[in-house]
Amino acid sequence: MKGNDSSAEKLENERHFHQTAKQPQLKPTPPPRKKGKLKSQAFREAMTGYFFLAPALVLLGVFLLYPMGAAFYYSFTDFYILTPDDVSFIGLENFKYIVEDAQFRQAFWNTVYFSVIVVPVQLSVALGLALLINKKLRFRVFFRTAFFSPVVMSLVVVSILWTFMYNPNEGLINQLLQTVGIPPQPFLTSPDQAMNSIIVMSVWQGAGFQMMIFLAGLQNIPNHLYEAADIDGASSWQKFWHITLPGLRNIALFIFITISIAAFKLLVQPMIMTQGGPLGTTKSLVYHIYETGFNYRDVGYASAMAVVFTVIVLVITIIQRVLIKEERG
Amino acid sequence: MKKFTYVFLGLMLLLALAACSNGSGGAESDGGNAGNEESGGSETSDTVETGEVDTSVEATGDEDVVLEFWIHQTGEDETNAYIELIDGFNKEHEDIHVNAEVIIDDGASAYSDSINAALVAGNLPDVMAIDGPYLSSFADAGVIQPIDDYVDQETVDQYVDSIIQQGTYQDQLYSLGAMEASVMLYYNKDILEEEGIEPAHSLDEAWSWDELLENSKKLTTEDRYGLNLFMNYGVGEWLTFMGAPLVWSNGGDLISEDGKEVDGYLNSPETLEALNYVKELFAEGVVTESPGEMQFEEGKAALALGGPWIAVSAEEAGINWGMMPYPYKDEKVSPSGSMAYAITTNTENPEEATELMKWMTNEEATIKISEATGMPPAQESAFESMDKFNELPWSVMKEQVIETAHARPSTPAYPVLTDAFAQSFHAAALGEDVESVVEQQVSRVERELKRFNK
Repeated sequence: MKGNDSSAEKLENERHFHQTAKQPQLKPTPPPRKKGKLKSQAFREAMTGYFFLAPALVLLGVFLLYPMGAAFYYSFTDFYILTPDDVSFIGLENFKYIVEDAQFRQAFWNTVYFSVIVVPVQLSVALGLALLINKKLRFRVFFRTAFFSPVVMSLVVVSILWTFMYNPNEGLINQLLQTVGIPPQPFLTSPDQAMNSIIVMSVWQGAGFQMMIFLAGLQNIPNHLYEAADIDGASSWQKFWHITLPGLRNIALFIFITISIAAFKLLVQPMIMTQGGPLGTTKSLVYHIYETGFNYRDVGYASAMAVVFTVIVLVITIIQRVLIKEERG
Repeated sequence: MKKFTYVFLGLMLLLALAACSNGSGGAESDGGNAGNEESGGSETSDTVETGEVDTSVEATGDEDVVLEFWIHQTGEDETNAYIELIDGFNKEHEDIHVNAEVIIDDGASAYSDSINAALVAGNLPDVMAIDGPYLSSFADAGVIQPIDDYVDQETVDQYVDSIIQQGTYQDQLYSLGAMEASVMLYYNKDILEEEGIEPAHSLDEAWSWDELLENSKKLTTEDRYGLNLFMNYGVGEWLTFMGAPLVWSNGGDLISEDGKEVDGYLNSPETLEALNYVKELFAEGVVTESPGEMQFEEGKAALALGGPWIAVSAEEAGINWGMMPYPYKDEKVSPSGSMAYAITTNTENPEEATELMKWMTNEEATIKISEATGMPPAQESAFESMDKFNELPWSVMKEQVIETAHARPSTPAYPVLTDAFAQSFHAAALGEDVESVVEQQVSRVERELKRFNK
């Protein structure tokens, strides 16, 4: 009996749903109260919908929309943390200074360098790992977990661990190098090596996640394609080039976009490992914004940089979207 | 597909574990406070984390004045000393009750982040601990208020000069501190003896720059550096704290005395000469820009220009150590400054708040805190009553704090200025062209100064 009841209710609900969807076209301004039981039920359903949406909407509003709006507003002011009651509108002053700011320029190019190296390297490492693990090796579950485990760890913890490993005197890596006769390297303290050291660590930490996505993609490629290729006598390189890669194209593009955005948001590694040094060679855009706002209390200028940063990321994303569309056509 | 499930189960387990460890961390802090309630008398809990402190003296509700008080935490012993002092204050003053809150000071920005957040939200406490050199920016912004009206000259005279210098902005006194700090030239007795180098035992015998360089060269060997400058602390306040006296000793300055001009100070010939001296030390290979945490304590550096805490770690490491005064060029000066207390403009009871500050920094308090932290006390009389400061090696630190301590510059642009100097110092250490780096930093500070020189 119960089952019948609920399915009947469901049917009725669905009918209501369709009617509600059509109603506005027929009668543009229906006063809900006077339209009888049916209408008020539709209204109540809509309210229920909004009720369920409310938590998400409130969170979005409070933690995303409001801060974004506030940052946009502050970017035109001289908001200094110590004098929150004395905020004046200074027009485009902050944006003008971005052009002059040598630190912003350095941070921008550091971030570009990081992204340009990390994105392709991490993509290929992730693909390589996925291919390895997709083979029917022994212990592959172990390897899969091992490669994925850095992703589960907090980036802060990983950064601290790698700082120890990179230590020129007692660090693990230098100890290993010394046993094969290479002198200790100043990984994080030399302006030439610091960013590259951070890149290596970031790829190690991040690649496991993309490996998992690639793996899912690999397992979706129908096996009969490979079997057919075998019959045609294709080499494994040909199989990779003509079956695997095209099969992974959409997944690779997805990963490409997500890594690019994540790479541009580089913050934790330089913050923990080098504090942006030596000589500002590892200072990223986001870290520069953070420092300006919190250490130097210049929220106005930090907001202006954040606005510019958002525009930069937006432009990159749009360019990537356009490129993807063209490839599809 | 089954294997996939296993992997994901494993991962979920890991995640769950991570979540649990977070959870227990939070519970611990609650436990710490709860444990505190049980322990009566003067005993205090041994784990204090960020949050409200349960002092053992309860408010009766009859007090006329309730003061909110923020203290910073760097170590348990220090926090426990504060709690004992606050308990004492609450017992002594029937009409005033102090609620204290402990905030972790991680040496980076955790403590100042809390202040910034409260400031914007408009709920700062009545009294708070602030880092000495940052006082000017708080005073300039009207966040803290002068206390001249509530402190008499006799009280002021009890403090060592550098603490009053640090607490003064534009001829008005804003803060009192219980702790001083200093930087000593530590030496490994055994190594110096081996090499036949005579250390300095008092301020009069202090080494000059040339002596420091020459002796460091002699003390440098294949597997040992002559000197350690603790560059492993990173490019931050340490470099200004430890390095600025080199500039002052050479007759230079980081900024004009009124804190409004940087051009002609940070880039003066005297400042550049001091930075080039640093560059020379590194170029000669007597000091490294990436020393190990315990380089001096492990005997891998013969000399070390370090804070009072190095005495503690050297003692623990069991090496035969001593301390010399800070090396000089023309004038003898030494680093100074530490956390101090100030009254916010939020408070409705500045007189009672000042009373609390005096209590927290009086002779008894300053001795208690000195014993808990190993830092030198901020009252001259405390040096006399603490035996340790009247014999070698600590007598050198006493002499230095009383006679040569020099507060860091007083300017509202200090947060940017200190980074500008630290960056320049670091550039010198890396052998960069000091002049061009300094010029770049000067323009940075000048932009910041515009905000205050309107």
